[in-house]
Amino acid sequence: MPVVEAQDLHRTYRTSTGTLRRKWMDVEAVRGVTFGIERGELFGLLGPNGAGKTTTIKMLITLLLPTSGTARVLGYDVVKDPREVRKRIGYVFGGERGVYERLSGYDNLRYFAELYGVPPKEIRPRIESLLELVGLKGREQERTEGYSRGMKQRLHIARGLLHDPPVVFLDEPTIGLDPVGARELRATIASLADAGKTILLTTHYMFEADALCDRIAVITRGEIVAEGTPADLKRTVAAGTVVEVEVFGVPDGLVERVRDLEGVTSVSVEEREQAQVLLVQTPTDVELTHTILGTLDGANVGRISRREPTLEDAYVALVSGE
Amino acid sequence: MKALRLLAVGWYYQFKMISRSPFEGIGQVLYPLFFATVAFFIFRASESPRTLLYAALGSAVMGMWSATSTTAGNAMQRERWHGTLESLVATPPHFGLVLLPITLAMATIGIYCLVATLALGRFVFGIDLTVEHPLVFALAIVAAVTSFGALGFLFAVSFVRFRAAWALGNLFEYPVWLIGGFLVPLVLLPEWVRPISWVLAPTWGMSAIREAALGGSPLPDLLLCLALGGVYVGLGLAMLERVLGAARKRGALSLS
Amino acid sequence: MTSLRIFAIGGLISYRALFYWLTFWIFVPSLVVAPVFQILLFAYIGRSAELQSDEFYVVGNAIQYAAIPALFAMSQLVAGEKFQNTLGAILVSPAPRLPLFFGRAVPVVANSVFVAAFALTAGSLILGIDIPLTSIPALALVIVVAAVSCTGLGLINAALGLRIRENAVLSNAIFGFLLIFTGANIPLSELPDWMRAVSEVIPFTHSIQAARELADGAALGSVIDLVGAELLLAGAYLSAGYLLLRFLEGQGRRHATLERS
Repeated sequence: MPVVEAQDLHRTYRTSTGTLRRKWMDVEAVRGVTFGIERGELFGLLGPNGAGKTTTIKMLITLLLPTSGTARVLGYDVVKDPREVRKRIGYVFGGERGVYERLSGYDNLRYFAELYGVPPKEIRPRIESLLELVGLKGREQERTEGYSRGMKQRLHIARGLLHDPPVVFLDEPTIGLDPVGARELRATIASLADAGKTILLTTHYMFEADALCDRIAVITRGEIVAEGTPADLKRTVAAGTVVEVEVFGVPDGLVERVRDLEGVTSVSVEEREQAQVLLVQTPTDVELTHTILGTLDGANVGRISRREPTLEDAYVALVSGE
Repeated sequence: MKALRLLAVGWYYQFKMISRSPFEGIGQVLYPLFFATVAFFIFRASESPRTLLYAALGSAVMGMWSATSTTAGNAMQRERWHGTLESLVATPPHFGLVLLPITLAMATIGIYCLVATLALGRFVFGIDLTVEHPLVFALAIVAAVTSFGALGFLFAVSFVRFRAAWALGNLFEYPVWLIGGFLVPLVLLPEWVRPISWVLAPTWGMSAIREAALGGSPLPDLLLCLALGGVYVGLGLAMLERVLGAARKRGALSLS
Repeated sequence: MTSLRIFAIGGLISYRALFYWLTFWIFVPSLVVAPVFQILLFAYIGRSAELQSDEFYVVGNAIQYAAIPALFAMSQLVAGEKFQNTLGAILVSPAPRLPLFFGRAVPVVANSVFVAAFALTAGSLILGIDIPLTSIPALALVIVVAAVSCTGLGLINAALGLRIRENAVLSNAIFGFLLIFTGANIPLSELPDWMRAVSEVIPFTHSIQAARELADGAALGSVIDLVGAELLLAGAYLSAGYLLLRFLEGQGRRHATLERS
């Protein structure tokens, strides 16, 4: 039985504009998300900003009510039994805020340990071992207002693990961290998975999902567009080629024209210093280079090359809705 | 038992945090002292039988009330600013057990005001601060702080939809000063006002403190004060269910 | 002519731009409800202490409360410009300083006048105080002069607000200070000598005295010296505020502190 189950989750927001004459609009942030996470899995929810990752995770951790659909964590319904769910999950989110700045790291943990009902005798040893785990030992008596972003992030993780939850939800935990800090954090997350915890990780970093996750669901515009192991996803694009065309300035309509060419799987544009690069995906046996160049009539073209697709290309193809 | 420990630990850390903010603290303690000074001058110049100790006690409790009324309504908003509101809601305990310690801690700051006002009275105006029943006096103060915190809890829950929650809280500062029997005996107020005074815990907290200091029967007032505090918490808890449910539905927990 | 336009239009626009925060829910409690309660509070304290009449407290507090807009609105104006980083832009504009700043002072004065007038009227109605109709024009004059005088103090406060972080604490402290020293609630004869000396040189003291006499039916002529004293103080505070603002502006340019928040 899956430890975390989401069944056709929907979430619509009501937003308004204007003050005197309010106009109400419905925004569908999540439109029918379904997936399951097995015990001990490190599951990644991968998607660009605004895809609905945070909304989905908030529904699972009982902070947000779904507009429709159901979700269960360890068998407990997130809407009907929020308390039971909260006792068994840890929630870690990225960013600067979320800790009490005027308290020390230790005090922050002590306070939340009480909130999570950690038995009094276990509080001190648990905090000590968590500080070791996240590498904050020796800094725990300082006020968190003096912590770097990375340190705050690590404190978040320690806090999420205080009650030794079997399921941990991580919402973009490495966002805004420097590369070294991020790498250390990923190592910590991997070790949590090794310790047998079930983890849901949301991220927009493709390489992060690739490196850490057992399985990935790609989400864009509120829907899951692909699901599988990193290897599965790579396979969807393995049969194909990417033609890279360097252009200086992308004329209007060019992307659409190339996309309309027969045999083209997807087109996207990447900014690289002074130029833009047109990335055109085609199946391997199709030779389209000349045709593509034909449509570029009038545009300033630089280098052209062909290469194997990467998981990044798969991701881009998926999220740009091709 | 677990709930009590949660309240205590929560109160301790919240109080620690608030105490560490010098400007907030200075402003909160200083402002009522100005009013206390005016009260001291007025009662010193007056011909009435009400003593300066009466004025000192009344002003001191005015300060205690300010500490709560000007901050408690903003409790949830404060947690939002810290970015901790969601983390707090995501914890297993009933949110009331998390919010109540916050407003209790805010009310406890009122003790700084009390001490400052009494010190002002003693060292600047030379008022004799002998108290008839010191132990009950101390208990009365604790009861007052607790019930102020409870009323603050009700404010915090009621004002959560208002962006300018702090302005609403300030709105309750002067009126309670006026009708709480701090410097103005209830008999001087119009009759229709008195029932309102009677349902306010501050009125009974003040009365208990005064009776304990000047010699009287503080216990009934003290108990009534605590009972009213209990009523406020009950009302607050009932409202909290609806407020949080609505917030989870609207997705408003992290709106900043 | 340009100076006049800068004065009027600049003032009006800045008022609207920077008072966006002054919503209904903040305006009504703090400028309409609170002063009436302050009046009632002290009137009843006066009854409790058997000191002075209701009228004493109504007049005193109605005028003293005008300090709130003078202090807070003016601070918000100057600080608001700083936060929106428009202060730097304005200060480097070629517009002459004097009409520019005083243009901003006018809405604040108007705000203060409204608060005092409303509080006085409401307080009198609620507590049943008779103010002779003939005194009203003179009272209006006294209130306007008092408002100008305190706005000057507000300008100084706002200038200081450019340098200190928690300006609200200072504003509250000044408000409390005025509560004590202006005789709004304490008869001046009850204050020790040194405090009385201070009373003489701060806004409101003379106006409150004048207003009390006018409310008792005195003629304008008999209080004209008090009004004159307040007017002199108004000039002094406005000038001091303006000079302080220029000085700190110069400092700000030298030490790049203008945009610091």
